[in-house]
Amino acid sequence: MVRNPAHDARNGAILRALALGLWALVLLRSCVDGRLDLLLRRSFHPLVALSGVVLLLLALLQARWAFDSVAAAPSGRPPQTRPPGNAPLPAESRATASREGGPARSRRRNPGERLDGLTALATAFLAALLLALPPNPSFADLAAQRPRDEGSAGELSFVLPPAQRSLTDWVRLLRSQPDPALFDGDLVRISGFVLPMPDQPPQLARLLVRCCLADATPVGLPVRWPSGSPPPEADQWVAIEGRMVMEARPPGATLVVVPSRIRPIARPRYPLEP
Amino acid sequence: MAAFQLTAMPLPPLLVLLLPVELDATRLATGWAIFQGLLIEALPFLLLGVLIAAAARWLAPDGRWLRRLPSGPLLGPLSGAALGFALPACECGNVPVARRLLAGGAPLGTALGFLFAAPVLNPIVLASTAAAFPDKPWLLLCRPLGAVVVAVGLALLLKLLPEQELLQPDLLEERRLRQPLSEVSLLERRSGQVGALPEPALPEPALPPATLERPSLEEVLRHTSREFLSLALMLVLGCLVATLVQLWVPRSWLLAVGGAPTLSILALMLLALVVSVCSSVDAFLALSFAAQVTPGALLAFLLLGPVIDLKLLGLLSLLFRPRGLLLTTGGTALLVLLIGQWINLWQL
Repeated sequence: MVRNPAHDARNGAILRALALGLWALVLLRSCVDGRLDLLLRRSFHPLVALSGVVLLLLALLQARWAFDSVAAAPSGRPPQTRPPGNAPLPAESRATASREGGPARSRRRNPGERLDGLTALATAFLAALLLALPPNPSFADLAAQRPRDEGSAGELSFVLPPAQRSLTDWVRLLRSQPDPALFDGDLVRISGFVLPMPDQPPQLARLLVRCCLADATPVGLPVRWPSGSPPPEADQWVAIEGRMVMEARPPGATLVVVPSRIRPIARPRYPLEP
Repeated sequence: MAAFQLTAMPLPPLLVLLLPVELDATRLATGWAIFQGLLIEALPFLLLGVLIAAAARWLAPDGRWLRRLPSGPLLGPLSGAALGFALPACECGNVPVARRLLAGGAPLGTALGFLFAAPVLNPIVLASTAAAFPDKPWLLLCRPLGAVVVAVGLALLLKLLPEQELLQPDLLEERRLRQPLSEVSLLERRSGQVGALPEPALPEPALPPATLERPSLEEVLRHTSREFLSLALMLVLGCLVATLVQLWVPRSWLLAVGGAPTLSILALMLLALVVSVCSSVDAFLALSFAAQVTPGALLAFLLLGPVIDLKLLGLLSLLFRPRGLLLTTGGTALLVLLIGQWINLWQL
């Protein structure tokens, strides 16, 4: 079947513009709908936004050139097949042209062009899928798959008053000062998700992330849940007010959070901690 | 429009067929989030690499400077590794730049040295390693040195394969166009007076590559868009594989053998392969389990990941044929294992 090469080129460019535009939308929308807060460490967010803008520009340029090329070559002649005069082709064009199989096949859609079109279509579909299905991970499920974070206590830069310490601050502090007697009776005001533990009561936990969710590692504190009522369900976010209490647990004494008030809360805007 | 929540909807029939039955909706939702995290984190670096490659193509279309890079068996990879200081990106960003080096006719060893060492030998990665392990000066020294050793070793190993067996055909074809006729015959080049001429009606003499004209900005950006999309597709596949393996293999299994010298190295190499985290932050991840593993295993994790991981496999398959990919994986594993063993002998 004889095809119009100008239309093929235009269709290819439109598909590329569509795919790039959708990827730009994925990145830019992730920045505003809170998805990045759930997936990446905050230091990467500006990079994602900038990439979205660059991709959007690329998509707009592709779309503009696609329509300009058809307007400039209404007879169906593909634009820029050859540079003017006897100037040699740029290497990419020569390589592409030789892949295409030369002039005998120039009226049919060449395999390279078809592959480009399929690639653009596949990536556009994937980007649309990412837009349609936002992430909604189970932190408890993720934490259950990962070993505990054993990072050094050196990450603790300063010590806050007890009531202002986050769960992560407490874990790091206890790692740097393992003597539980130092903190017995301290006020606690923390939040986190409920992490079921094998053969133990559930803990209150947070995920630490260095880069993205793929490298998340959990940290947690043991909690003495009120007797008489079942502990909150796994993955439920709760805010706890209470005190640190020393408890004898093998192999020695350890600190346990004894809540005076437990309040279910929605997942916070920044659920991951650095 | 209210977006779907993966946990609240039945699994699409295709996914149910593709995934094992043990993966319930909760696990699948978690996997979907891990996949998105890996992908969205890597895309900016991929774009950065593609844009740098495009800038190189536009600013130096003849690639003359690439062919002047040292080509000696040792000096080539070393100079390629040194180029890493010019590109502060992780391994995803390095692949398109290495592809440009190869397509531009740079000596094979130089391009491979860059590809394998630059993800470690760049300011951001060195700074993040120093920030994560200020109390381990041996690691700050051994990581860059190890990366150079691995890069030189791999470059020497891969040079044993003829280029037509190592590189993908389209990349090889583009590379041939830039190589001087003293190195490549007209038949191999598939252009000029012998071979497949794009348009025989117009004279297309076998001009030396140095006379190639600068492509228009439109042409460069069109090529850049194509390259980004094809690399992104491979990146998606790599992230998908990495996610599935993460869901199936609990990480605690890999860290359970932390104390055994050889097993710990092998386990951490596997972990690096699976986690597929970018080299600019892998040191912080390693910090979370550094106390549980041997020093050699820690270094092995930091050396292997930047060269090869599941996420990278798709991207590297656009450069190398399967045999090259296999040799890269096997060679890296062997070199890193040897380095890790040596470190364990020295440090333990």
